[in-house]
Amino acid sequence: MKKANALPVDRSSLTYKAKRLFKRNWSGWLLMLPGLLLFLFFVWAPLAENVLLSFSETKGFEAVGFNHFANYAQVFHDPMFTKALVNTFKYIFWSIIIGFLVPIVLGLLLSEAVHCKSFFRLGIYFPSIVSGMAVVIMWSYLFDPNPGAVLNQLLTALGLPVSKFLSDPDLTIPLIVVTMTWRGAGGTVLVYLSALQNIDNSQYEAARMDGAGALARIWHVTLPHIRSTIRMLFILQIISVFQVFYEPLVMTSGGPDGASVSLLLLSYQYAFQSFDAGASAATGVILAVIIISLTIVYLRLSRPKKNTVSRKWRKYAKKTAQ
Amino acid sequence: MQRRLRSKTSGILTAADYKKPGFRIVYSIILLVLFVAVLTALIPILWLFISSFKEAGELTATPYHLFPKVFDIGKLVEVWNMLNFWRYFLNTIIVVVGAVLCSVVFNGLLAYVFAIVKPKGYKIMFGLVMASYMIPALLSIVPLYREIINFGLINSYVPLWFMFGANAYYVIMFKNYFESLPKALFEAAEMDRCGKLRTFFRIVIPMSRPIIGVVAIFTMTAAWSDFLLPYLVLNDDSMMTVMVKIYNLQATMGTVQGFGPDKLLMLLTISIIPQIFIFALFQRQITGSAAAGAVKE
Repeated sequence: MKKANALPVDRSSLTYKAKRLFKRNWSGWLLMLPGLLLFLFFVWAPLAENVLLSFSETKGFEAVGFNHFANYAQVFHDPMFTKALVNTFKYIFWSIIIGFLVPIVLGLLLSEAVHCKSFFRLGIYFPSIVSGMAVVIMWSYLFDPNPGAVLNQLLTALGLPVSKFLSDPDLTIPLIVVTMTWRGAGGTVLVYLSALQNIDNSQYEAARMDGAGALARIWHVTLPHIRSTIRMLFILQIISVFQVFYEPLVMTSGGPDGASVSLLLLSYQYAFQSFDAGASAATGVILAVIIISLTIVYLRLSRPKKNTVSRKWRKYAKKTAQ
Repeated sequence: MQRRLRSKTSGILTAADYKKPGFRIVYSIILLVLFVAVLTALIPILWLFISSFKEAGELTATPYHLFPKVFDIGKLVEVWNMLNFWRYFLNTIIVVVGAVLCSVVFNGLLAYVFAIVKPKGYKIMFGLVMASYMIPALLSIVPLYREIINFGLINSYVPLWFMFGANAYYVIMFKNYFESLPKALFEAAEMDRCGKLRTFFRIVIPMSRPIIGVVAIFTMTAAWSDFLLPYLVLNDDSMMTVMVKIYNLQATMGTVQGFGPDKLLMLLTISIIPQIFIFALFQRQITGSAAAGAVKE
């Protein structure tokens, strides 16, 4: 912050401005450089290259020429791609049925418990600390279709017919979703729990004064407060379901007969099994477009909005404000 | 049980409700459901621990025995020695340590510039980082793999370390934390003509222990479990990490002499034990940071 008083400097000259701009900013940019280079190498360049690859004719992993939308046309005509697309919606459907409500209910119950609370919290979170690969292999042994294996013996003991589990095309996706939920629900429960603990207690008091029963309190106070969290986690869940990969890779390799193949797994199989980088890139780009659109929706929704709370809740809120 | 319910004054149900016997039944149901949830979470892991001590034939024997005939801890040692598993553990530790260092230094430095130094035009770069937040790295695995080949980094840990230095989620976490540090501190550092890099290592890092801990734990678990890139990059058996080795063994099941499903289960047990230790040591930080929004892996 020294004043230049020796020579009169033309502060409006372009070179002066450029010099000042450089002097003030070069060190910051230098510090950013290593991080930016890593992002370039690991994220941006591969992504851009992938888009180029998707419009290229490929030999092995190398692009040998531009071919417009041929890769996309090829992918769209591949019955496996249609299967993967349909499966993705099946994954989403089952993950909503199995994986969406469980964490909300557990979060609610956990926030009401006064006994052994940390035991419950740690116990429910525990599966999340086990690495995905170990979880997936463990569950594929639990789902062993052998009639002598543990779950089938349990079914037999209960007088139920034995199941083929993952080899049954109708069961394979729901069972994969069970595995994902088993591992992932704990983290989501903790997110709901912290949202629930942020609710101002005086609003429950106001509701109680008003004679609201337990269910009415949940409906008019609890739910409006966690609605934005629910909506955010819902979209995040759908985004993450689009990225299902390890589970079908390890548990079923996408089978039986493509019944559990996901878009990401298909992209991987195009690349590393049929060595068709163009088709793999095209699938990746399609998936990226879907994920980006969903992310935009997510960002829109995660902005705090007014007028989303129930009228009754506003009444309680007003009461506590007075 | 009664006394603690009587002192419950917050939440949906309070002491006033628990005066009525009906709500006490509701409360028992709440505890019961939570207990069942914990059982569901723990039983598969316990099953794995118990079953990994079984002989190969015992896994599917009729009638089913939950417990193995003999509980021989020697089997753990046998499997460990048979595969010379020390090597894979050591490799994994090398990967994890390098990944944690890269993750803290590079993401931290980038976030420090975004949050505090703010040179002209940094917003463009921040926008680019944010834009890559939601796109899974797996999507462009082919070009990345090709880059790694071109740089001659196959069978090297370098890409596995540096990959963790480019994580938008960690950058955002660091940035939010740095923005909460007192501004006067950085003004004072500037007055003292303390260089920006020195400020980062001397002032920012020592003041950011909590967030560094969170990012380090996240990176540790992620690097420990990471699979696809290590699988593609590490072809040499002596370089493999635990997860890559386990995946290889399960994919080639039956081709390795004397390696059956029972031994694979034992390996899974071995791979889970360190994670349980880490969880036991850092449980508060781990559950705390998970609640803060660790929705993304």
